[in-house]
Amino acid sequence: MTAAQIFKALGDPVRLEIVKRLADGSAYTMNNLSKDLGISRQGARKQIQVLVSANVVFLKPIGRETLVTLDMSSLELARAFITSMENQWDQRLNALKNFVEK
Amino acid sequence: MKDKIQREIMIKATKERIYDAIANPEQVVLWFPETLEGSYKVGERPILGFGEHGKNQIYIEDAKPHEYFAYRWVPGSNHFLGDVLTVANTLVEFRIEELKDNSCKLTLTETGFATLPINLAEKCFTQNSGGWEFMLGRLGKYFEEV
Repeated sequence: MTAAQIFKALGDPVRLEIVKRLADGSAYTMNNLSKDLGISRQGARKQIQVLVSANVVFLKPIGRETLVTLDMSSLELARAFITSMENQWDQRLNALKNFVEK
Repeated sequence: MKDKIQREIMIKATKERIYDAIANPEQVVLWFPETLEGSYKVGERPILGFGEHGKNQIYIEDAKPHEYFAYRWVPGSNHFLGDVLTVANTLVEFRIEELKDNSCKLTLTETGFATLPINLAEKCFTQNSGGWEFMLGRLGKYFEEV
């Protein structure tokens, strides 16, 4: 799993909304999660499949339902990458500020 | 998830001074890379040197004195030599905005992370090490910021 794949998977408002719902730690079934997304249930399933392919979420069959769970390690990777890039820029911009203000 | 980094900083200097520090090859090496090889002009591909951390060949995308300077590079990779336009890259942009009282707001954006090649982000991140432990609670906050 790479940060780049995760960024691509989340580069869509519906998929981002799905991940936001899962991010509060609640358990969702495929059916619950597909509601109120502004798209058809079939479309929602398709978007969830994209997230599964990118290892952002994983599916677990429970009886006749399918449970959707967030794979935290994937998101931590993407977030940590961006954070490290932001920190590097903060350091560089501070160096620039110190340089021109002296 | 964001495909963009944006940072802002207030600097007590004129826009001419700040632009010079960014776009003048003799000035930029005093705060950013240690060395600069090749022409540092729009359309050129100079090499930034970071001492023992390696070299990074970039492409100067655009320059508008004294408010805008932009280049493309392979981020996080402290060692890339070649034509950056032939590989996935990010666009780094500096924008200088003059405020009252002789100070300026400098805005830095870097975009294009979603186009990065497989494994690059992971590779450069493991090089940097650290920062891996992020708690669940912080994630929710992060998404609010998106």
